[in-house]
Amino acid sequence: MLEVERITFSYGRRRVVDDVSFDIAPGEIVALTGPNGAGKTTLIKILACLLMQDDGCVRLDEVNPLSRPVKYRRWIGYLSERCPLYEEMKVDEYLTHRVRLKGERSLRVRRRVSEALEMCGLTEVASTGIRLLSQGYRKRVGLAEAIVLHPRLLLLDDLLAGIDAGQRKKTAAFLSAASARSAVLVSGHELHELLPWCTRFLVMSQGRIVASLRSNEHNREELLELVESHVAEVNAGGEEP
Amino acid sequence: MRPVYTIWLRELRAFFGAFSCGVTLAAFLAAYGWTFGMLLRGNEGSVLQIQSLWGVAVTPWLPVLSAILTTRLFAEERATGMIEMLMSSPVREREVVAGKFLSAFTVVALALLISLVVPLWVLPRMSLHVQGDVSGLAFSATLLILLLQAALWCAAGTLVSLFFSNQVAAAACSLLLCCGLPAAMYFAVMAWVPALRAEVAWMPLLVHVYDFSTGLFSVAVMMLYLASAVFFLFACSKSLACLRLRS
Repeated sequence: MLEVERITFSYGRRRVVDDVSFDIAPGEIVALTGPNGAGKTTLIKILACLLMQDDGCVRLDEVNPLSRPVKYRRWIGYLSERCPLYEEMKVDEYLTHRVRLKGERSLRVRRRVSEALEMCGLTEVASTGIRLLSQGYRKRVGLAEAIVLHPRLLLLDDLLAGIDAGQRKKTAAFLSAASARSAVLVSGHELHELLPWCTRFLVMSQGRIVASLRSNEHNREELLELVESHVAEVNAGGEEP
Repeated sequence: MRPVYTIWLRELRAFFGAFSCGVTLAAFLAAYGWTFGMLLRGNEGSVLQIQSLWGVAVTPWLPVLSAILTTRLFAEERATGMIEMLMSSPVREREVVAGKFLSAFTVVALALLISLVVPLWVLPRMSLHVQGDVSGLAFSATLLILLLQAALWCAAGTLVSLFFSNQVAAAACSLLLCCGLPAAMYFAVMAWVPALRAEVAWMPLLVHVYDFSTGLFSVAVMMLYLASAVFFLFACSKSLACLRLRS
Protein backbone atom coordinates (compact mmCIF):
# COMPACT_ATOMS: atom_id res chain seq x y z
CA MET A 1 0.00 0.00 0.00
CA LEU A 2 2.51 2.65 1.12
CA GLU A 3 6.01 2.48 -0.30
CA VAL A 4 8.71 4.84 0.86
CA GLU A 5 11.97 4.65 -1.07
CA ARG A 6 15.20 6.33 -0.05
CA ILE A 7 13.65 9.53 1.26
CA THR A 8 16.11 12.26 2.10
CA PHE A 9 15.35 15.69 3.52
CA SER A 10 17.57 18.47 4.87
CA TYR A 11 17.00 21.78 6.63
CA GLY A 12 19.86 23.77 5.18
CA ARG A 13 22.95 21.64 5.68
CA ARG A 14 21.43 19.56 8.45
CA ARG A 15 20.12 16.26 7.14
CA VAL A 16 16.96 15.45 9.07
CA VAL A 17 15.76 12.40 7.13
CA ASP A 18 18.50 10.33 5.62
CA ASP A 19 17.88 7.61 3.07
CA VAL A 20 14.75 6.19 4.71
CA SER A 21 12.97 3.27 3.07
CA PHE A 22 10.08 1.15 4.31
CA ASP A 23 6.64 0.03 3.30
CA ILE A 24 3.35 -0.54 5.05
CA ALA A 25 0.76 -3.06 3.94
CA PRO A 26 -2.97 -2.83 4.68
CA GLY A 27 -3.65 -4.28 8.09
CA GLU A 28 -0.38 -3.07 9.47
CA ILE A 29 -0.05 -0.53 12.27
CA VAL A 30 3.50 0.72 12.28
CA ALA A 31 4.91 2.61 15.25
CA LEU A 32 7.63 5.12 14.54
CA THR A 33 9.67 5.74 17.64
CA GLY A 34 13.00 7.20 18.66
CA PRO A 35 14.45 10.08 20.65
CA ASN A 36 13.45 13.71 20.16
CA GLY A 37 14.93 15.17 16.99
CA ALA A 38 15.26 11.75 15.33
CA GLY A 39 13.25 12.92 12.32
CA LYS A 40 9.91 11.23 13.04
CA THR A 41 7.76 14.34 12.64
CA THR A 42 9.65 15.46 9.54
CA LEU A 43 9.15 12.04 7.95
CA ILE A 44 5.42 12.14 8.72
CA LYS A 45 5.22 15.67 7.32
CA ILE A 46 6.80 14.48 4.09
CA LEU A 47 4.24 11.69 3.87
CA ALA A 48 1.47 14.22 4.59
CA CYS A 49 2.68 16.45 1.72
CA LEU A 50 3.64 19.27 4.08
CA LEU A 51 7.28 19.04 3.09
CA MET A 52 8.80 17.98 -0.18
CA GLN A 53 11.65 15.51 0.03
CA ASP A 54 15.02 16.40 -1.51
CA ASP A 55 15.37 12.91 -2.89
CA GLY A 56 13.50 9.62 -2.94
CA CYS A 57 9.98 8.56 -3.72
CA VAL A 58 6.68 7.97 -1.93
CA ARG A 59 3.86 5.93 -3.43
CA LEU A 60 0.45 5.13 -2.04
CA ASP A 61 -1.26 2.46 -4.14
CA GLU A 62 1.05 3.48 -6.99
CA VAL A 63 0.05 7.13 -6.69
CA ASN A 64 2.98 9.50 -6.35
CA PRO A 65 2.15 12.67 -4.36
CA LEU A 66 4.45 14.74 -6.54
CA SER A 67 2.65 13.87 -9.75
CA ARG A 68 -0.92 13.54 -8.42
CA PRO A 69 -1.00 15.55 -5.21
CA VAL A 70 -4.74 16.06 -4.85
CA LYS A 71 -5.55 12.37 -5.36
CA TYR A 72 -2.83 11.35 -2.91
CA ARG A 73 -4.02 13.83 -0.27
CA ARG A 74 -7.58 12.59 -0.67
CA TRP A 75 -6.33 9.16 0.44
CA ILE A 76 -4.54 10.25 3.58
CA GLY A 77 -5.72 11.18 7.06
CA TYR A 78 -3.29 13.26 9.08
CA LEU A 79 -3.17 14.10 12.76
CA SER A 80 -0.63 16.78 13.50
CA GLU A 81 1.57 16.76 16.60
CA ARG A 82 0.15 20.19 17.60
CA CYS A 83 -3.40 19.18 16.71
CA PRO A 84 -4.52 22.60 15.47
CA LEU A 85 -8.25 23.33 15.23
CA TYR A 86 -10.44 26.33 14.44
CA GLU A 87 -11.14 27.65 17.93
CA GLU A 88 -14.27 29.60 17.02
CA MET A 89 -16.11 26.57 15.64
CA LYS A 90 -18.14 23.88 17.36
CA VAL A 91 -16.91 20.28 17.08
CA ASP A 92 -19.53 19.15 14.55
CA GLU A 93 -19.19 22.35 12.53
CA TYR A 94 -15.44 21.85 12.32
CA LEU A 95 -15.77 18.24 11.18
CA THR A 96 -18.42 19.20 8.64
CA HIS A 97 -16.14 21.92 7.29
CA ARG A 98 -13.21 19.51 6.98
CA VAL A 99 -15.31 16.77 5.36
CA ARG A 100 -16.60 19.24 2.77
CA LEU A 101 -13.08 20.47 2.14
CA LYS A 102 -11.96 16.91 1.59
CA GLY A 103 -14.51 16.68 -1.21
CA GLU A 104 -17.17 14.39 0.24
CA ARG A 105 -20.57 14.53 -1.45
CA SER A 106 -23.08 16.75 0.32
CA LEU A 107 -25.55 13.94 1.01
CA ARG A 108 -22.96 11.89 2.87
CA VAL A 109 -21.40 14.66 4.94
CA ARG A 110 -23.74 14.44 7.91
CA ARG A 111 -23.47 10.65 8.10
CA ARG A 112 -19.67 10.75 7.91
CA VAL A 113 -19.50 13.35 10.67
CA SER A 114 -21.82 11.46 13.02
CA GLU A 115 -19.88 8.22 12.39
CA ALA A 116 -16.59 9.93 13.26
CA LEU A 117 -18.10 11.60 16.33
CA GLU A 118 -19.33 8.27 17.59
CA MET A 119 -16.10 6.42 16.86
CA CYS A 120 -14.02 8.95 18.77
CA GLY A 121 -16.45 9.34 21.68
CA LEU A 122 -17.31 12.91 20.79
CA THR A 123 -21.08 12.68 20.45
CA GLU A 124 -21.70 14.37 23.81
CA VAL A 125 -19.49 17.36 22.94
CA ALA A 126 -20.61 17.63 19.29
CA SER A 127 -22.16 21.05 19.80
CA THR A 128 -19.51 22.34 22.20
CA GLY A 129 -17.17 25.12 21.13
CA ILE A 130 -13.66 23.86 20.38
CA ARG A 131 -12.08 26.56 22.55
CA LEU A 132 -13.79 24.99 25.57
CA LEU A 133 -12.35 21.51 25.02
CA SER A 134 -9.58 19.94 27.06
CA GLN A 135 -6.35 18.78 25.39
CA GLY A 136 -7.56 15.19 25.34
CA TYR A 137 -10.82 16.06 23.61
CA ARG A 138 -8.98 18.26 21.12
CA LYS A 139 -6.82 15.29 20.24
CA ARG A 140 -9.94 13.23 19.71
CA VAL A 141 -11.35 15.87 17.37
CA GLY A 142 -8.08 15.78 15.42
CA LEU A 143 -8.30 11.99 15.25
CA ALA A 144 -11.94 12.15 14.17
CA GLU A 145 -10.93 14.48 11.38
CA ALA A 146 -8.13 12.17 10.27
CA ILE A 147 -10.36 9.09 10.09
CA VAL A 148 -13.59 10.67 8.93
CA LEU A 149 -13.32 9.62 5.29
CA HIS A 150 -11.73 6.21 5.96
CA PRO A 151 -8.40 7.11 4.34
CA ARG A 152 -6.05 4.55 2.88
CA LEU A 153 -3.14 5.90 4.91
CA LEU A 154 -3.44 7.23 8.44
CA LEU A 155 -0.55 9.39 9.64
CA LEU A 156 -0.82 10.01 13.37
CA ASP A 157 1.91 12.13 14.87
CA ASP A 158 2.29 11.78 18.63
CA LEU A 159 -1.18 10.25 18.82
CA LEU A 160 -1.26 9.27 22.47
CA ALA A 161 0.04 12.50 24.00
CA GLY A 162 -2.69 14.14 26.07
CA ILE A 163 -5.17 11.24 25.80
CA ASP A 164 -6.30 9.54 29.01
CA ALA A 165 -5.89 5.82 29.68
CA GLY A 166 -9.51 4.93 28.90
CA GLN A 167 -9.48 6.74 25.59
CA ARG A 168 -6.10 5.22 24.71
CA LYS A 169 -7.64 1.76 24.93
CA LYS A 170 -10.59 2.85 22.78
CA THR A 171 -8.23 4.48 20.27
CA ALA A 172 -6.16 1.31 20.10
CA ALA A 173 -9.24 -0.83 19.50
CA PHE A 174 -10.52 1.56 16.90
CA LEU A 175 -7.21 1.74 15.04
CA SER A 176 -6.88 -2.03 15.05
CA ALA A 177 -10.27 -2.18 13.33
CA ALA A 178 -9.41 0.68 10.96
CA SER A 179 -6.15 -0.97 9.91
CA ALA A 180 -8.10 -3.60 7.99
CA ARG A 181 -8.61 -1.06 5.21
CA SER A 182 -5.86 1.45 6.01
CA ALA A 183 -2.15 1.51 6.49
CA VAL A 184 -1.45 3.21 9.81
CA LEU A 185 1.73 5.01 10.82
CA VAL A 186 1.83 6.22 14.42
CA SER A 187 4.66 8.12 16.02
CA GLY A 188 5.19 8.33 19.76
CA HIS A 189 7.28 7.53 22.76
CA GLU A 190 4.75 5.50 24.77
CA LEU A 191 6.17 2.04 24.03
CA HIS A 192 4.11 0.25 26.68
CA GLU A 193 0.93 1.66 25.20
CA LEU A 194 1.87 1.04 21.58
CA LEU A 195 3.12 -2.49 22.11
CA PRO A 196 -0.21 -4.37 22.31
CA TRP A 197 -1.64 -3.08 19.04
CA CYS A 198 1.23 -2.09 16.74
CA THR A 199 2.39 -4.76 14.34
CA ARG A 200 5.82 -3.29 13.66
CA PHE A 201 8.20 -0.85 15.29
CA LEU A 202 10.56 1.40 13.36
CA VAL A 203 13.23 2.98 15.53
CA MET A 204 14.63 6.22 14.13
CA SER A 205 17.81 8.02 15.04
CA GLN A 206 19.46 10.99 13.38
CA GLY A 207 17.18 10.71 10.37
CA ARG A 208 17.76 7.02 9.77
CA ILE A 209 15.76 3.91 10.57
CA VAL A 210 18.10 1.92 12.79
CA ALA A 211 15.79 -0.96 13.60
CA SER A 212 12.64 -2.58 12.26
CA LEU A 213 11.01 -5.07 14.63
CA ARG A 214 7.88 -7.08 13.91
CA SER A 215 5.58 -7.96 16.79
CA ASN A 216 4.86 -11.46 15.42
CA GLU A 217 8.54 -12.37 15.55
CA HIS A 218 8.94 -11.72 19.28
CA ASN A 219 6.83 -11.97 22.39
CA ARG A 220 5.74 -8.74 24.05
CA GLU A 221 8.40 -8.59 26.76
CA GLU A 222 11.13 -9.45 24.29
CA LEU A 223 9.89 -6.86 21.83
CA LEU A 224 9.63 -4.16 24.48
CA GLU A 225 13.14 -4.97 25.65
CA LEU A 226 14.48 -4.87 22.09
CA VAL A 227 12.80 -1.57 21.20
CA GLU A 228 13.84 0.00 24.50
CA SER A 229 17.41 -1.18 24.08
CA HIS A 230 17.53 0.29 20.56
CA VAL A 231 16.13 3.60 21.80
CA ALA A 232 18.56 3.61 24.76
CA GLU A 233 21.45 2.82 22.41
CA VAL A 234 20.39 5.68 20.16
CA ASN A 235 20.08 8.03 23.16
CA ALA A 236 23.51 7.04 24.44
CA GLY A 237 24.96 7.58 20.96
CA GLY A 238 23.28 10.97 20.71
CA GLU A 239 24.84 12.11 23.97
CA GLU A 240 28.33 11.50 22.71
CA PRO A 241 30.11 14.69 21.61
CA MET B 1 -15.25 25.39 -7.09
CA ARG B 2 -16.49 23.56 -4.00
CA PRO B 3 -13.30 23.91 -1.95
CA VAL B 4 -13.27 27.62 -2.80
CA TYR B 5 -16.85 27.95 -1.54
CA THR B 6 -16.10 25.95 1.62
CA ILE B 7 -13.06 28.09 2.47
CA TRP B 8 -14.91 31.30 1.57
CA LEU B 9 -17.79 30.36 3.87
CA ARG B 10 -15.53 29.48 6.79
CA GLU B 11 -13.52 32.67 6.43
CA LEU B 12 -16.66 34.78 6.25
CA ARG B 13 -17.93 33.21 9.45
CA ALA B 14 -14.58 33.88 11.09
CA PHE B 15 -14.71 37.51 9.93
CA PHE B 16 -18.17 38.13 11.28
CA GLY B 17 -17.46 36.21 14.48
CA ALA B 18 -14.42 38.33 15.25
CA PHE B 19 -14.77 41.46 17.35
CA SER B 20 -11.80 43.03 15.55
CA CYS B 21 -13.62 42.80 12.21
CA GLY B 22 -16.57 44.77 13.58
CA VAL B 23 -14.25 47.40 15.03
CA THR B 24 -12.36 47.67 11.72
CA LEU B 25 -15.58 48.08 9.73
CA ALA B 26 -16.89 50.68 12.18
CA ALA B 27 -13.59 52.60 12.04
CA PHE B 28 -13.66 52.50 8.23
CA LEU B 29 -17.21 53.82 8.08
CA ALA B 30 -16.43 56.55 10.62
CA ALA B 31 -13.31 57.64 8.73
CA TYR B 32 -15.16 57.60 5.42
CA GLY B 33 -18.10 59.51 6.92
CA TRP B 34 -15.79 62.19 8.26
CA THR B 35 -14.00 62.54 4.89
CA PHE B 36 -17.30 62.61 3.02
CA GLY B 37 -18.66 65.29 5.34
CA MET B 38 -15.53 67.40 4.92
CA LEU B 39 -15.72 67.04 1.13
CA LEU B 40 -19.41 67.97 1.09
CA ARG B 41 -18.73 71.07 3.17
CA GLY B 42 -15.68 72.03 1.13
CA ASN B 43 -17.45 71.62 -2.20
CA GLU B 44 -20.73 73.33 -1.41
CA GLY B 45 -22.01 75.00 -4.54
CA SER B 46 -19.41 73.37 -6.78
CA VAL B 47 -20.20 71.36 -9.88
CA LEU B 48 -18.79 68.10 -8.41
CA GLN B 49 -21.34 65.30 -8.51
CA ILE B 50 -22.26 63.43 -5.36
CA GLN B 51 -20.95 60.06 -6.64
CA SER B 52 -17.57 61.66 -7.32
CA LEU B 53 -17.42 62.96 -3.75
CA TRP B 54 -18.40 59.55 -2.42
CA GLY B 55 -15.72 57.82 -4.51
CA VAL B 56 -13.04 60.29 -3.52
CA ALA B 57 -14.01 60.00 0.16
CA VAL B 58 -13.80 56.18 0.12
CA THR B 59 -10.64 55.76 -1.99
CA PRO B 60 -7.97 56.65 0.63
CA TRP B 61 -9.53 54.38 3.29
CA LEU B 62 -9.98 51.36 1.04
CA PRO B 63 -6.34 50.19 1.18
CA VAL B 64 -6.34 50.59 4.97
CA LEU B 65 -9.49 48.50 5.35
CA SER B 66 -8.25 45.83 2.93
CA ALA B 67 -4.83 45.63 4.58
CA ILE B 68 -6.29 45.12 8.06
CA LEU B 69 -8.94 42.62 6.96
CA THR B 70 -6.55 40.46 4.94
CA THR B 71 -3.96 40.36 7.71
CA ARG B 72 -5.41 37.35 9.45
CA LEU B 73 -6.08 35.25 6.34
CA PHE B 74 -2.83 33.27 6.34
CA ALA B 75 -1.00 34.79 9.33
CA GLU B 76 -3.55 33.31 11.73
CA GLU B 77 -3.41 29.91 10.02
CA ARG B 78 0.37 29.91 10.31
CA ALA B 79 0.31 30.97 13.96
CA THR B 80 -2.21 28.28 14.96
CA GLY B 81 -0.76 25.59 12.71
CA MET B 82 -4.01 25.22 10.73
CA ILE B 83 -2.01 25.85 7.58
CA GLU B 84 -0.76 22.26 7.98
CA MET B 85 -4.30 20.95 7.88
CA LEU B 86 -5.07 23.02 4.79
CA MET B 87 -1.92 21.90 3.01
CA SER B 88 -2.58 18.23 3.73
CA SER B 89 -6.15 18.51 2.40
CA PRO B 90 -7.01 17.54 -1.16
CA VAL B 91 -7.22 21.17 -2.21
CA ARG B 92 -5.11 23.03 -4.75
CA GLU B 93 -3.12 26.06 -3.62
CA ARG B 94 -5.02 28.33 -5.98
CA GLU B 95 -8.32 27.19 -4.46
CA VAL B 96 -7.11 28.05 -0.96
CA VAL B 97 -5.92 31.47 -2.11
CA ALA B 98 -9.13 32.14 -4.06
CA GLY B 99 -11.36 31.18 -1.11
CA LYS B 100 -9.47 33.39 1.31
CA PHE B 101 -9.17 36.32 -1.08
CA LEU B 102 -12.87 36.20 -1.95
CA SER B 103 -13.88 36.23 1.71
CA ALA B 104 -11.89 39.42 2.41
CA PHE B 105 -13.13 40.94 -0.83
CA THR B 106 -16.73 40.14 0.14
CA VAL B 107 -16.33 41.98 3.46
CA VAL B 108 -14.75 45.01 1.74
CA ALA B 109 -17.52 45.01 -0.87
CA LEU B 110 -20.08 44.87 1.92
CA ALA B 111 -18.41 47.86 3.62
CA LEU B 112 -18.61 49.76 0.32
CA LEU B 113 -22.30 48.96 0.00
CA ILE B 114 -22.93 50.12 3.56
CA SER B 115 -21.06 53.35 2.83
CA LEU B 116 -23.53 53.97 0.00
CA VAL B 117 -26.34 54.42 2.49
CA VAL B 118 -25.30 58.00 3.24
CA PRO B 119 -25.19 59.43 -0.32
CA LEU B 120 -28.09 57.32 -1.64
CA TRP B 121 -30.50 57.31 1.25
CA VAL B 122 -29.60 59.77 4.01
CA LEU B 123 -28.45 62.71 1.91
CA PRO B 124 -31.54 62.92 -0.40
CA ARG B 125 -33.70 63.07 2.73
CA MET B 126 -31.63 65.85 4.23
CA SER B 127 -31.09 68.14 1.27
CA LEU B 128 -33.65 69.05 -1.39
CA HIS B 129 -30.88 70.31 -3.64
CA VAL B 130 -29.20 66.91 -3.81
CA GLN B 131 -32.45 64.98 -4.27
CA GLY B 132 -32.64 65.48 -8.01
CA ASP B 133 -29.00 64.62 -8.71
CA VAL B 134 -28.62 61.29 -6.94
CA SER B 135 -29.31 58.13 -8.89
CA GLY B 136 -28.23 54.57 -8.26
CA LEU B 137 -27.06 54.18 -11.83
CA ALA B 138 -24.59 57.04 -11.52
CA PHE B 139 -23.04 55.32 -8.54
CA SER B 140 -22.60 51.97 -10.35
CA ALA B 141 -19.56 53.10 -12.32
CA THR B 142 -17.93 54.54 -9.20
CA LEU B 143 -18.69 51.35 -7.31
CA LEU B 144 -17.14 49.32 -10.16
CA ILE B 145 -13.80 51.13 -10.01
CA LEU B 146 -13.77 51.01 -6.21
CA LEU B 147 -14.42 47.25 -6.31
CA LEU B 148 -11.54 46.85 -8.75
CA GLN B 149 -9.28 48.81 -6.43
CA ALA B 150 -10.50 46.75 -3.47
CA ALA B 151 -9.65 43.57 -5.38
CA LEU B 152 -6.12 44.83 -5.90
CA TRP B 153 -5.60 45.75 -2.23
CA CYS B 154 -7.14 42.51 -0.99
CA ALA B 155 -4.91 40.48 -3.33
CA ALA B 156 -1.81 42.37 -2.15
CA GLY B 157 -2.83 41.93 1.50
CA THR B 158 -3.46 38.19 0.99
CA LEU B 159 0.04 37.79 -0.40
CA VAL B 160 1.66 39.71 2.45
CA SER B 161 -0.32 37.73 5.03
CA LEU B 162 1.26 34.52 3.74
CA PHE B 163 4.76 35.54 4.77
CA PHE B 164 3.99 36.19 8.44
CA SER B 165 2.77 34.23 11.41
CA ASN B 166 2.49 37.39 13.47
CA GLN B 167 -0.67 39.31 12.57
CA VAL B 168 0.69 42.64 13.78
CA ALA B 169 3.76 42.33 11.58
CA ALA B 170 1.57 41.25 8.67
CA ALA B 171 -0.73 44.23 9.21
CA ALA B 172 2.21 46.64 9.34
CA CYS B 173 3.71 45.27 6.16
CA SER B 174 0.32 45.17 4.43
CA LEU B 175 -0.38 48.76 5.40
CA LEU B 176 3.02 49.76 4.12
CA LEU B 177 2.34 48.11 0.78
CA CYS B 178 -1.34 49.04 0.41
CA CYS B 179 -1.09 52.59 1.75
CA GLY B 180 2.51 53.54 1.12
CA LEU B 181 2.41 52.88 -2.58
CA PRO B 182 -0.75 54.84 -3.43
CA ALA B 183 0.15 57.58 -0.93
CA ALA B 184 3.54 58.01 -2.57
CA MET B 185 1.86 58.15 -5.96
CA TYR B 186 -0.76 60.57 -4.75
CA PHE B 187 1.68 62.99 -3.19
CA ALA B 188 4.01 62.74 -6.16
CA VAL B 189 1.17 63.61 -8.52
CA MET B 190 -0.11 66.35 -6.22
CA ALA B 191 3.34 67.81 -5.84
CA TRP B 192 3.43 68.01 -9.59
CA VAL B 193 6.99 66.84 -9.84
CA PRO B 194 7.33 66.38 -13.60
CA ALA B 195 9.88 63.61 -13.41
CA LEU B 196 7.94 61.62 -10.80
CA ARG B 197 4.57 62.34 -12.31
CA ALA B 198 5.57 60.56 -15.49
CA GLU B 199 6.61 57.54 -13.43
CA VAL B 200 3.46 57.26 -11.33
CA ALA B 201 0.88 58.41 -13.83
CA TRP B 202 -0.02 54.77 -14.57
CA MET B 203 -2.09 54.48 -11.43
CA PRO B 204 -3.44 57.71 -10.00
CA LEU B 205 -6.19 56.23 -7.82
CA LEU B 206 -8.26 59.34 -7.30
CA VAL B 207 -8.11 60.32 -10.97
CA HIS B 208 -9.43 56.90 -11.98
CA VAL B 209 -12.26 57.10 -9.44
CA TYR B 210 -13.15 60.62 -10.59
CA ASP B 211 -13.08 59.61 -14.28
CA PHE B 212 -15.34 56.61 -13.72
CA SER B 213 -17.72 58.62 -11.56
CA THR B 214 -18.21 61.09 -14.38
CA GLY B 215 -18.80 58.39 -16.97
CA LEU B 216 -15.30 58.25 -18.44
CA PHE B 217 -14.86 54.49 -18.59
CA SER B 218 -11.54 53.03 -19.52
CA VAL B 219 -11.15 49.34 -20.29
CA ALA B 220 -7.38 49.76 -20.00
CA VAL B 221 -7.71 50.99 -16.41
CA MET B 222 -10.04 48.13 -15.53
CA MET B 223 -7.65 45.62 -17.05
CA LEU B 224 -4.76 47.20 -15.16
CA TYR B 225 -6.44 46.68 -11.79
CA LEU B 226 -7.61 43.19 -12.68
CA ALA B 227 -4.21 42.14 -13.98
CA SER B 228 -2.48 43.53 -10.89
CA ALA B 229 -4.87 41.65 -8.59
CA VAL B 230 -4.41 38.42 -10.57
CA PHE B 231 -0.63 38.89 -10.41
CA PHE B 232 -0.69 39.15 -6.60
CA LEU B 233 -2.99 36.13 -6.32
CA PHE B 234 -0.80 34.10 -8.65
CA ALA B 235 2.27 35.06 -6.60
CA CYS B 236 0.39 34.07 -3.45
CA SER B 237 -0.57 30.69 -4.87
CA LYS B 238 3.01 29.96 -5.93
CA SER B 239 4.39 31.14 -2.58
CA LEU B 240 1.95 28.82 -0.79
CA ALA B 241 3.19 25.92 -2.90
CA CYS B 242 6.77 26.87 -1.97
CA LEU B 243 5.94 26.43 1.71
CA ARG B 244 6.10 22.71 1.03
CA LEU B 245 9.75 23.04 0.14
CA ARG B 246 10.69 24.43 3.55
CA SER B 247 7.91 25.07 6.05
